[in-house]
Amino acid sequence: MIKLRYFLMCLIGISMVMSVTSCQRRGARGAGTGADGVSPIRGMPGDSIYGEGLGSRAGFDGEFIEGQFEAVLFAFDSSQIQESERHKLEDVARHLRRNPNAVVIIEGHTDERGSREYNLSLGERRALASRAYLVGLGIDGNRIQTSSYGPERPAASGHNEEAWRQNRRTEFLVSQ
Amino acid sequence: MNHRLLLLFVGCFWALAGTPTEAQIRIEKPAGEKIGIHLAGLQVGSDAASTEFMQALRTNLERSGWFRVVGAGQAEIAVSGRVQPRGNELRVECRVTGTQNRQTYINQSYRHAANDARRLAQRITDDIVEQVTGRPGIASSRIVIVGSSGRNRELYMIDPDGSNLTQLTSDRNTSVRPRFGSNARELTYTGYLQGFPDVYLVDLESGDRRAISRSSGLNTGGQISPNGQEVALILSKDGNPELYVMQLRSGRLTRLTNTPAANEASPSWSPDGSEIVYVSDQTGRPQLYIISRTGGAPRRITTRGTENVSPDWGDNGLIAYTTRVGRQYQIAIMDPRSGEVRNISDPAGGDFEDPSWAPNGRHLAVAQRQNFRSQIYIIDTAGDAPVRLTPARGDWYTPAWSPK
Repeated sequence: MIKLRYFLMCLIGISMVMSVTSCQRRGARGAGTGADGVSPIRGMPGDSIYGEGLGSRAGFDGEFIEGQFEAVLFAFDSSQIQESERHKLEDVARHLRRNPNAVVIIEGHTDERGSREYNLSLGERRALASRAYLVGLGIDGNRIQTSSYGPERPAASGHNEEAWRQNRRTEFLVSQ
Repeated sequence: MNHRLLLLFVGCFWALAGTPTEAQIRIEKPAGEKIGIHLAGLQVGSDAASTEFMQALRTNLERSGWFRVVGAGQAEIAVSGRVQPRGNELRVECRVTGTQNRQTYINQSYRHAANDARRLAQRITDDIVEQVTGRPGIASSRIVIVGSSGRNRELYMIDPDGSNLTQLTSDRNTSVRPRFGSNARELTYTGYLQGFPDVYLVDLESGDRRAISRSSGLNTGGQISPNGQEVALILSKDGNPELYVMQLRSGRLTRLTNTPAANEASPSWSPDGSEIVYVSDQTGRPQLYIISRTGGAPRRITTRGTENVSPDWGDNGLIAYTTRVGRQYQIAIMDPRSGEVRNISDPAGGDFEDPSWAPNGRHLAVAQRQNFRSQIYIIDTAGDAPVRLTPARGDWYTPAWSPK
């Protein structure tokens, strides 16, 4: 039953990623471009999507600009990239393609509810899902570092659904 | 990369004449019942240090959970002797006897800096608890907590009687998830001094700290094993948050979990160091699992509820954790051998989260959240009412109680 669900999710995932990336096939890695059309899938829910090790932090210690790109928002307790958020990641990818020396730090954040430590891991998975999506759009993973703050740095200070919605996010800090 | 931290004051004590009496007869009572203790046999000066000592002795004896301060007629334990300042010192001659069994539990002289009289009261409280009940005291232990102010998260220490709130880090940065090591001298925490979550090891006596894990991605969950030689970590360097064990001396890493579609968090060692309890959401919701420290197949131990998180495996063998019941967070205590669970909820209707066992295996420090403000409370598994530790002003969370 679970297997079938993953299979269906993968199928849906492939078709969605294919449609998103169809105009950007040039140099695209991952994102459903595998020869058998099934793997590798990146940035989508399901098994074995985050299999890639992270690159070195060296070169990520200069000045970074905050808030240049719109935050990608997430559903409660989820690290899946929603369809409504994809254009934001495409903006980041476009910038990185136009500025081949630029690197990006993706910060993962959660709302204030639930275990802070679990939320640190959840924020990291949101950052990794965003990273995987950029890699799927052809960005070299070595140009991306992730940093999760869990619930510690809310964007909105309220304690209500609207604040929580804004706080479940990834932010993109781009090098000068 | 060593930073100087605020040096914690390390108390020094001298025991003068007399040695602790090896008590033959412990007073054993069900944890819910109190031993009556009579303090009026102590001759006490009216100076500030002696007054502070007596007030702290009373508070700490009652907070121990085992004693109630009573009049002479109801007492099972009588404390007699003298409390007097001498120069810069406070001297306490202390005799502790059983009123019925005629046992002498303590017959000893203590002295300590007069401006630190509270610490001497904590020390004597622990001696009384240990000699009379045979159980470890908690008065001299410490609790590390996170204090939140604006964007900053700094580490603080506080005594279990609510005194001595001391700021430990002053980085104007984010410092979270503190945990003591195998002794009260060292602690690990997750800090962002380099802009990324890294695990730091702090030596509280020297004030030194160093990053022990700074891989790409997430470094958190640092908890030192009972033998002091390994540290459990949550790392995402291989592409996803997973549980690892690192040899502290060599830095050699062993990866324990492999869940590409799930989060791991919050490792805590079993008392013998052979196993680790941790959080994983591989079924879709966060639940607790136990895995051998050498890896292998984990076994899920929580089945009830949609959220079971933040486990702390006590020296008493019991695992305390946060469980969600309806819309409320409660503390659950599980015996992993039998699977038996019982819950403790906030009588004030708030949330109880992030439990940490006291070294006596009876009390827990927890974060109490109500109206989105968090305070540190001590709760008692034997039924005493919860006691707030932190000042009402401020936001305090993630307590970690020191070992003895």
